[in-house]
Amino acid sequence: MTKTIIALIGAATLAFSMATLAQDNDEAESRDEFRSIDQDVQTLKKEVLDLNRDLFLLEEELLFPANSQVAFFISMDVGEYFELDAVNIKIDGKEVANYLYTAREADALIRGGVHRVHMANLKTGDHELVAIFTGKGPHIRDYRRGATLNFNKGIGAKYVELEITDRVKKQQPEFVIKEWE
Amino acid sequence: MPRSRSIVSSIRSLLVVLVLVAPAAYAAKDDKDPIVVQDPQYGEVLYYFYQEDYFPAIVRLLAAQEQQQLDDHAEDAELLLGGLYLSYGHHLEAAKIFEQMLADNVSVEIRDRTWFFLAKIWYQRGYYEKSEQALGFISGELPKNLQREATMLRGQMLIDSGEYDRAIALLQNWEGKTEWASYAKFNIGVALVRSGRVEEAQQLLNDLGNLDPFNEELASLRDKANLALGYALLQDGQTMAAKTSLQRVRLEGPFSNKALLGVGWADAEIGDYRRALVPWMELRGRDLLDSAVQESMLAIPFAMAKLDSISQAADHYLNAIEAFYEEANRLDQTIAHIESGELFDEFLSIDPSDSTGWYWKLEQLPEGPEARYLLHLLARHEFQEGLKNYRDLNYLHRNLDRWQGSVDVYANMLETRKQAYEERLPKVEDALARADLDDMVNQKLQFDSTLNNIENSHDWLALSTRSEFEMWGEISGLENTPALRADMPEAAEVRDKIHLLKGVLQWQLERDFNDRLWRIRRDLNDAGEALVATQRSRRQIDETMRNEPLRFEELSNRVYGLAPRIEGMKMRVDDALANQRAFLRSIAVGELQAQKQRLDIYTVQARFALAAIYDVAAREGEATE
Repeated sequence: MTKTIIALIGAATLAFSMATLAQDNDEAESRDEFRSIDQDVQTLKKEVLDLNRDLFLLEEELLFPANSQVAFFISMDVGEYFELDAVNIKIDGKEVANYLYTAREADALIRGGVHRVHMANLKTGDHELVAIFTGKGPHIRDYRRGATLNFNKGIGAKYVELEITDRVKKQQPEFVIKEWE
Repeated sequence: MPRSRSIVSSIRSLLVVLVLVAPAAYAAKDDKDPIVVQDPQYGEVLYYFYQEDYFPAIVRLLAAQEQQQLDDHAEDAELLLGGLYLSYGHHLEAAKIFEQMLADNVSVEIRDRTWFFLAKIWYQRGYYEKSEQALGFISGELPKNLQREATMLRGQMLIDSGEYDRAIALLQNWEGKTEWASYAKFNIGVALVRSGRVEEAQQLLNDLGNLDPFNEELASLRDKANLALGYALLQDGQTMAAKTSLQRVRLEGPFSNKALLGVGWADAEIGDYRRALVPWMELRGRDLLDSAVQESMLAIPFAMAKLDSISQAADHYLNAIEAFYEEANRLDQTIAHIESGELFDEFLSIDPSDSTGWYWKLEQLPEGPEARYLLHLLARHEFQEGLKNYRDLNYLHRNLDRWQGSVDVYANMLETRKQAYEERLPKVEDALARADLDDMVNQKLQFDSTLNNIENSHDWLALSTRSEFEMWGEISGLENTPALRADMPEAAEVRDKIHLLKGVLQWQLERDFNDRLWRIRRDLNDAGEALVATQRSRRQIDETMRNEPLRFEELSNRVYGLAPRIEGMKMRVDDALANQRAFLRSIAVGELQAQKQRLDIYTVQARFALAAIYDVAAREGEATE
């Protein structure tokens, strides 16, 4: 009896110890089944992504028609002298966005991402934009700065970029508002 | 809108993607090569990508491509899309892009890394042929860490397909003294055992079993090698050698229970049952879930019986039967809970972040009785990959749910806008009908002509005010009064006065002529510009009136067309979720059923042994009577 049990355990343990490499028949079957389901999931993913694309475009067209659309973007260049916490945006004296950044979002900005912080519908003509940036400035001190831009909204979509850059000479951050045509 | 950035990342977008996809190569993400973001939409995709939110990143990229907003990044965007698909675990679509893109216009380094990651994901998802093919496409040198992983992957695939000699030949050339070298050695051992070259395997495993581990991973590999070698030697009848090997396994660790059991069997094999009881009794206090612990509960009374402690042996068999019974009951409850399907939602709820992606991995199980039974399921590729799919499908379901709500709102919004437009239209049409723009233009042209005549003829009277004109008329009327023609001094005096007044008035009118002419011409010009603007607005209004119904119709078609698409897709996602859940359930339940079957076998063995003991005791009792 001892021999038999030992033989049984031995075989089982050897197989166990090599489990990451060995594939028995059951596993091969379940692998095939998984593949079949996975292929369905892959097809679904593609279709849902395409549907999301169509919905995204429809939403934008419905809510922000091209002739009145203005998009406001936040970006950072380098970001050595400023750690962004929040951005407050006023258009023509009216507060339209107050965005608080998570560490993950701020990191994405530092690494080159551009955040669409606000979308608006504006009439053609002159408008005033005021952006207030809060965060930590040089020497980890609380920092709050504003930037203003008077811009003209013509016919067609308009993009405005609020860029935080480093002014190396002064070792200070700089807040620049640019219009993208 | 070109603008230059000196920030961050990316030799090429794809490289960033691949770097992120490979946690092992993650360190390389701090490449400071400059990137030039020329389209805000591209930057926006990167914003989501860097947060590892692959789904919204892909949607934005697809939308921007559809709207042709990425003209400055067309090629990069396509590569980025492939990388995003890969990160998201959408490997078939990723492969399609890479197969098109990687043909000729991408560097060998990027191409090879891409094929490597595709090979890895395909291996994990059971697409072995595709994985092998992808490895075959690697033409140059991969970075060292990836090169090692790729070679190991090749070796595993060769072992899986039974090509042991080729696997041995491949892994034998391993260079260096890293953990990878030890793993390669272990895999060679496996291939040798499977190809029947046991003696060679023993030598290799013995080397591994004596290695000096410098980290937990290597210590675990050393234990694994000693355990495998120990049991191989036990089977071969080399009891003492087996014991030496098994005793090298650490007392605490994933392999310690089986090693203790084996040490006991080695002693039992040479008839030293008292000594065999030492490791087996140690096992008694350990987790009953482990098959070695379960088995020790049979081995202990077996040894006791051999040592003639029959009544103690009977007690231990009874304990074992009870413990197995209770364990089997717990297994039944767990199986019932798994079959209810709730377990898999609990899996997802312990990691509530909304992200998706291929390298998401469930590291721990939710607390509860199931956790201890299913722990080693987490090491199985199809279980982990199945969970990833289950998680992704849940995400898709929530995504479609959100859109379904939004589309209803959009449909209402569109109807309201349409209604407001239809209400406003008659008023606008009425106002437009009343405003005869052509007549206004004609009038303006007439005014221009009149003013030109006035200027040419220097007709200062034409620009007089109403009061001046009336005064001029009065003075002229007085001039023609017959009484004033009389030849008398009073009449002459009045004539002189009238003449003077007329002169003064004319002088004033001539003085103001140029100024008045300029003002009128300026007002006429303003009126002309206003007329042009009005004509432009009119054209826009006409265009809007022509296009708006078409636009409403087009948007309505899209909104109402998307609603059933969402509904249909949701149903398919539900079906896929059910299939995926059933698959995971079948693996988990299968695992527990196997454990229960083992317990049943042990219970039968215990009952059989107990019956034999009672039988012997009864016969001995009869004999003494």
